[in-house]
Amino acid sequence: MCRPTGEGVPTGTVIAMTETAVRTETAIGVRDLRVRYGGFEAVRGVDLEVRRGEVFALLGTNGAGKTTTLEVLEGFRARSAGEVSVLGLDPGRERHLLRERMGIQLQEGGFVDELTVGETLELWGRLSPREDRVARLLDRFDLVPRRDVRVSALSGGEKRRLDLATAVWGSPELVVLDEPTTGLDPAARRRTWDAIQELQDGGRTVVLTTHYLEEAEALADRVAIMHEGRVAVAGSLAEILASRPSSFSATLPAGVAPPRGLDGPEVLVHTDDLQRDLTAFLGWAADRGVTLTDLRAAPASLADIYLSIRSEEK
Amino acid sequence: MNRVLALTRSELRLIFRNKTVLISTLAVPLGLGLFFALTGFGDGSGASIIAMQLAMVLGLGIYVAATQTLVARRQNLVLKRLRTSGISDAGLLTATIAPVVVLAVVQMVLFAVVDVAFGLPVPTSPLPVVLAAVGGLALVVTAALATAVVTPTAERAQITTLPLFFVMVGGAVVLAFLPLEGIATVVNLVPGAPLGSLANVAYGGSAFSPVQVASLVVWPVLFGLLAKRHFRWDARA
Repeated sequence: MCRPTGEGVPTGTVIAMTETAVRTETAIGVRDLRVRYGGFEAVRGVDLEVRRGEVFALLGTNGAGKTTTLEVLEGFRARSAGEVSVLGLDPGRERHLLRERMGIQLQEGGFVDELTVGETLELWGRLSPREDRVARLLDRFDLVPRRDVRVSALSGGEKRRLDLATAVWGSPELVVLDEPTTGLDPAARRRTWDAIQELQDGGRTVVLTTHYLEEAEALADRVAIMHEGRVAVAGSLAEILASRPSSFSATLPAGVAPPRGLDGPEVLVHTDDLQRDLTAFLGWAADRGVTLTDLRAAPASLADIYLSIRSEEK
Repeated sequence: MNRVLALTRSELRLIFRNKTVLISTLAVPLGLGLFFALTGFGDGSGASIIAMQLAMVLGLGIYVAATQTLVARRQNLVLKRLRTSGISDAGLLTATIAPVVVLAVVQMVLFAVVDVAFGLPVPTSPLPVVLAAVGGLALVVTAALATAVVTPTAERAQITTLPLFFVMVGGAVVLAFLPLEGIATVVNLVPGAPLGSLANVAYGGSAFSPVQVASLVVWPVLFGLLAKRHFRWDARA
């Protein structure tokens, strides 16, 4: 059986390492990272900084270089150029030290189909440098009723939960999650968010990739959006949103000409000063007795930014 | 070490859960080995029977089975996943291959018991047989790692393992009958051929040659270097 301890309390060895690593506030530092596959450069000069204790989201289109970047951070892929430091270690040369402090969820499961859920977690416990309890993780990820079910019989969502359970085994200092909620139903996705939030509350650093922008908005302290091997935008959500214009829109009645410089009848305005320009627009409508329909105003969203980056690159 | 043992136990359990793997790993080589003992393969001398038993258990029981296991584990991303745990890369490969090696060793012991029980002549010098078993073990384990390099799927392993398997069996059979003279000495350089010639030496049918040892050392080193340089952990191209 697995070595029983308190709820995810790391071993003394890990605690000692943690104290050493706490000296720096930077959990991950990446400078001018480049990765080439033959003649193709998948990652083209990426700079990243992930601070200790934060949730950092790496966004991007398919093929943007997110997974390749993560694989370099995990020590599974050699970099062609650049500097990478993870918890003060070089993942390329010190992966054996890093994996004692890092939990990883891959984009795809990679479990043995013939083992049961319970056996998978028990085996993981014996292979892990950290200590935890199978029962705690089964309970945490709603897998108790599936304990004696073979992995081959699990649904996609259950496999993702099992995957996450192994990644957070023993509450590692750094958890890297590659699309942790892909394929999950809304309830399971919410539970995964809760688990990630718990990790952060416990002082852990979390790096995740996701295609779900609302997930990044809900979980991440800071985000980076990658496109075609580069980081197009990075920073806190507030910083990124503030750097992009807000917008308002409305539909004019048929036959009403829009204000000068705008198209109608569906008016869309991007602005750096939402209050000023919206007030002016509403004043224009009031002066003319125009009844607006579908009036909406909103600050820039992550989705707007994401889409604008894609269109700018095109 | 505890991690390697834990994963080895888990892999061993999986062999007994999968009937197809159990048959190919245990039943087929065991059955063939017993068949050779019962029918007195070839001239009925101990050398040819022991050579074939070694070739079957090492070739089918370890080489083919280990290649299939490695490729299957890579194909379904188990190797990649387990690399994120605390086990070392060497430990992971060792634990993945160890169960078929353990079963093969058990089969060799069974063959020895059966051979004695059926009145097969006892080798005049058992040391060459031990050398053949140990050297052969190193050969097939490293060959499995090297073959996994060029094998994309578990199904394809049934094809990619055939050339070396037949070369090994063919070389072992030929040299089990021939005295080590002239061209026969050179044939020892064929991977696996010393299994036959060393069995022959054990029964006094031939003299010992350093070429046998050289062959059992050089091929594992070459296969090992090939695997070390080119082994892939990820199914992705």
